[in-house]
Amino acid sequence: MSLLDDEDNTPFETSNTSDLDLKLQYSIETLTQILGPIPSLSSSQDSSLTLLHDTNLTQTISTHLKLPNSGAGDNNLCRWLYDTFQSSHPDLQLVVLSFLPIIAGLYLPRAVLRATSLAGFEAILLALYAHETTSRDGQPITVSIPDLSNSSLYHESKAPIKNKAVELNMTIVSPSLEPHGTVRSTRRARIVGVALELYYKKIALMPMSSKIEFCKFCLVWATGKEDGDGEDSVGKKSLLGDQKEASSSSNGDHGVDGSKEKREMKEELSEEKSWRRVPLPWELLQPALRILGHCLMGPNRTNKELTDAALSATKSLHARALQDVDSQAILATGSLLRLGTMASETSTEPDHTEIRDYMNPVISL
Amino acid sequence: MSESQVYDEVENHSTVREVCANGLRMETSAVEAKLDEGNIQEAESSLREGLSLNFEEARALLGRLEYQRGNLDSAVRVFDGIDLHAAIQRLQPSITEKRSSRRSRSNESVTTVSQHATGLLLEAIYLKVKSLQKLGMIAEAAQECKSILDAVETIFQSGIPDAQVENKLQETVSKAVELLPELWRQVGNHQETVSAYRRALLSQWGLDDDSCGRIQKAFALFLLYSGVEANPPSLASQVEDSYVPKNNIEEAILLLMILLKKFHLGKMKWDPSVMEHLIYAFSICGQASALASQIEEILPGVVHRCDRWNTLALSYSAAGRNKVALDLLRKSLHKHERPDDLLGLLLAARICSEDSLLAFEGVGYARRAVANAIGRDEHLKGVGLRMLGHCLRKQAKVASSDTERSHLQSEALKSFNEAIAFERDNPDILIELGVQYAEQRNSNAALVCAKQFIDVTGGSLLKGWRLLALVLSAQQRYSEAEVVTDAALDETAKWEQGPLLKMKAKLKIAQLMPMDAIETYRFLLALLQAQRKSFGSPGSHMVQVEDDNEFEVWLDLAKLYSRLSQWKDAEICLEKAEAFKPYSAAILHTEGVMQEGRGQVEEAWPAYLHALMLDPDHAPALISIGELLRKKGSMSLPVARSFLCDALRLEPTNRAAWYCLGMIHKDDGCTTEASDCFQAAAMLAESDPIESFSSVL
Repeated sequence: MSLLDDEDNTPFETSNTSDLDLKLQYSIETLTQILGPIPSLSSSQDSSLTLLHDTNLTQTISTHLKLPNSGAGDNNLCRWLYDTFQSSHPDLQLVVLSFLPIIAGLYLPRAVLRATSLAGFEAILLALYAHETTSRDGQPITVSIPDLSNSSLYHESKAPIKNKAVELNMTIVSPSLEPHGTVRSTRRARIVGVALELYYKKIALMPMSSKIEFCKFCLVWATGKEDGDGEDSVGKKSLLGDQKEASSSSNGDHGVDGSKEKREMKEELSEEKSWRRVPLPWELLQPALRILGHCLMGPNRTNKELTDAALSATKSLHARALQDVDSQAILATGSLLRLGTMASETSTEPDHTEIRDYMNPVISL
Repeated sequence: MSESQVYDEVENHSTVREVCANGLRMETSAVEAKLDEGNIQEAESSLREGLSLNFEEARALLGRLEYQRGNLDSAVRVFDGIDLHAAIQRLQPSITEKRSSRRSRSNESVTTVSQHATGLLLEAIYLKVKSLQKLGMIAEAAQECKSILDAVETIFQSGIPDAQVENKLQETVSKAVELLPELWRQVGNHQETVSAYRRALLSQWGLDDDSCGRIQKAFALFLLYSGVEANPPSLASQVEDSYVPKNNIEEAILLLMILLKKFHLGKMKWDPSVMEHLIYAFSICGQASALASQIEEILPGVVHRCDRWNTLALSYSAAGRNKVALDLLRKSLHKHERPDDLLGLLLAARICSEDSLLAFEGVGYARRAVANAIGRDEHLKGVGLRMLGHCLRKQAKVASSDTERSHLQSEALKSFNEAIAFERDNPDILIELGVQYAEQRNSNAALVCAKQFIDVTGGSLLKGWRLLALVLSAQQRYSEAEVVTDAALDETAKWEQGPLLKMKAKLKIAQLMPMDAIETYRFLLALLQAQRKSFGSPGSHMVQVEDDNEFEVWLDLAKLYSRLSQWKDAEICLEKAEAFKPYSAAILHTEGVMQEGRGQVEEAWPAYLHALMLDPDHAPALISIGELLRKKGSMSLPVARSFLCDALRLEPTNRAAWYCLGMIHKDDGCTTEASDCFQAAAMLAESDPIESFSSVL
């Protein structure tokens, strides 16, 4: 937890330890009520971080989230995620955040189809949005670009310093935030985008599976298909592939109903197969591209599954940007794509920190 | 004292290793044997005897030997014997002595000796760091590496002197400086990583350009992609008047810009990835114009000129400078360059489609794009066709004859329909097809498109709602249009409701409910003023848009009041509008209408004429003048007709113009023509939207 130390500017609110433990236990209890017993959890009651990196649990929650109708307002898992995030237990909030890729990933295409109720997903997304709104006090995030003819922290300029009013190029990276109580359809992209901004802030703490999931959903958003244009479908395993398994395991006890439910599931599955591509305005694309940049060029770039997923997501977003003839998106996705391919093609750089005459058999003082 | 050796079989591991010092040399096989037995003490003493070395020198050599043999565990054990702190304590005074002695110009050998000893010591620790790193004990390696830098800072309190530093010492220091942040990064300690990078770049380590550049690039990448928000640099490191970045992305961009500058100055080898990182960073934070100026600075010959033109064009067009972008694209699409480049063709077509005078050129680009969208790029055929339709539609606006116009319009429709076959639910095509249908008064088809658009976007884009409401209003289904507008208002946040409220007011007027319309306008004005208060930074782009909006609201109100013959109110509204745009043809025209309404025809004349002087293409003024001329009697009928023909060329679907032209024909005694015109006017009246369809796009 080196990240959430006291110097972090926007730590999740903290309360005292015993309180947190209680919250944690309560939330695990309610979760087991919803999902049934989870074997790995009973042994490790104390640490909330194991919750974040517990593959078994992640798997179970993911498959439940991917069920049709999972985003409905009366869905218990959605309610659990919402309550857990509102519990303001910092580690539990991270657990909720780690499922944002699936929630947002499913929410946007389903919102286009407008087939099912999505109030459950919307509640979670709005909670994330509200959290980000309060943590930055609704203020916009701006970036100013220096003029190199004036000296800066890292360089000195010989040119005489002109008057003090140095012209800076300032742009707004993320506009100011106003509170939203409901998801209005024209604000949908913005709300999801802000939730993604929050995800990006904590991305260094997110488990690998969550990031991979995000990359796969980016591809769905861009193309409306699961495997892009069939180019090189990396995530061959279907996004909803493990559903049947999950349903049979979670409903294992019901025996007789199992087969009927499976049939229903299949029908609903085939409906979900018809994904729709999602409108990708800049307010949504920008945070998505930052996350993809992290996946492609960040500290996990040695993880092939992640970089492959990120690369094909970038490819599909670039194709989409070309289709939309959107200059800014073409620039951003294009550069990321070239960087990604450069990184996968170039052989490892020579180690500049190795001593010079490493191989010299004559060692001299 | 160290003699330079020519070593032939560098890569050959079977070569007998030798160590040499103090002019002596010995083969290491005996020492190695002792080391293999784990007997460091004995190995050390045999080295000390053989080469007459002191303890530290012997340890350093032994450790180095083990490091090179790949016995890292053993190397660490050997180095553990050296007490860095004690050694530094010993070295410190000798250096300070050196400083004072330099002033008195005493012999230089003292400096060299102590520097040599320091170098030896630091290299030994550095090799320990490398051994630990290779053993996977990264955290320990980082601690040791940090101690090297601490030691260097204690020994050379005022920075490393440039000229007198021995090569080897400098090399060790540089490598340690470069390695430390990387080690912290591998450990996952982000705070330490950031401060190690800053320490590397902000202190005087005497780094050469290459290693400094590598550190700058590595730090920039860490800032851009690690996903860790580093605390901004401390206030202590700020120099007055110099730029200090205040977040990750600013710091990354600064470093990348400095790197790029170094390439330009020839201090470093060109690294294409730096440019790509910069493009990514700039475009992520919407700094397209700053990006353009960075690309402009790249020296010729570094990147292919077409790539450079295309990237520049993209940046300029993202920054809203389409004309510049188009000029660049014309170069790169020249037949001697890359005439078939799809990206260039599509972008050029899109830029041309926004200006009816360029539309003809755009049609050419779009056709070439469609022809070249084959093979792997086939997915771009749809967008090529869409751009083609867009350009044709725009070209039709300036067509010189009716035949040409209708030909272009049907061509445009054809292209959009072909495009939709490629991308069934591409909302961009749907909305353009919808507008095209609507403008050709095929309102049922337009309605289908608008509904489909709302479906595929999930109602997330305002223009879908607006098109639907406009088409309904054109079908005179005002109450349904109002229902749609209200639904859209529900889906829209407060600040974006402006255009919808304006539509709602116009719907009220169309339903002959002027009081409701005035109420809606009042609400809209309150909204605009609240908006100004909350985002008000004068001169910004947003404020300009709000000014335009408010101007239009006041103008609409003035027109409404003048239709109600409430002249006082109308005048007040007009004055308000004038405050935003003092020289506006629309205001002058409305003034004229008011004068005419009050029966002051002579005063209306100059108002209309002034309006035309400000904007020769202001169709309402043309129509009003035509109408006044018609009323003057048969002598001026030909002139009146020419004014109206001009108006109709500009706005072929303006029913007032058709009606007026009909009246002129009637006065002239040409009843057939007159009835044709009246028929046109009547048909248009039945299919007139409350706002022009193209305002949606």
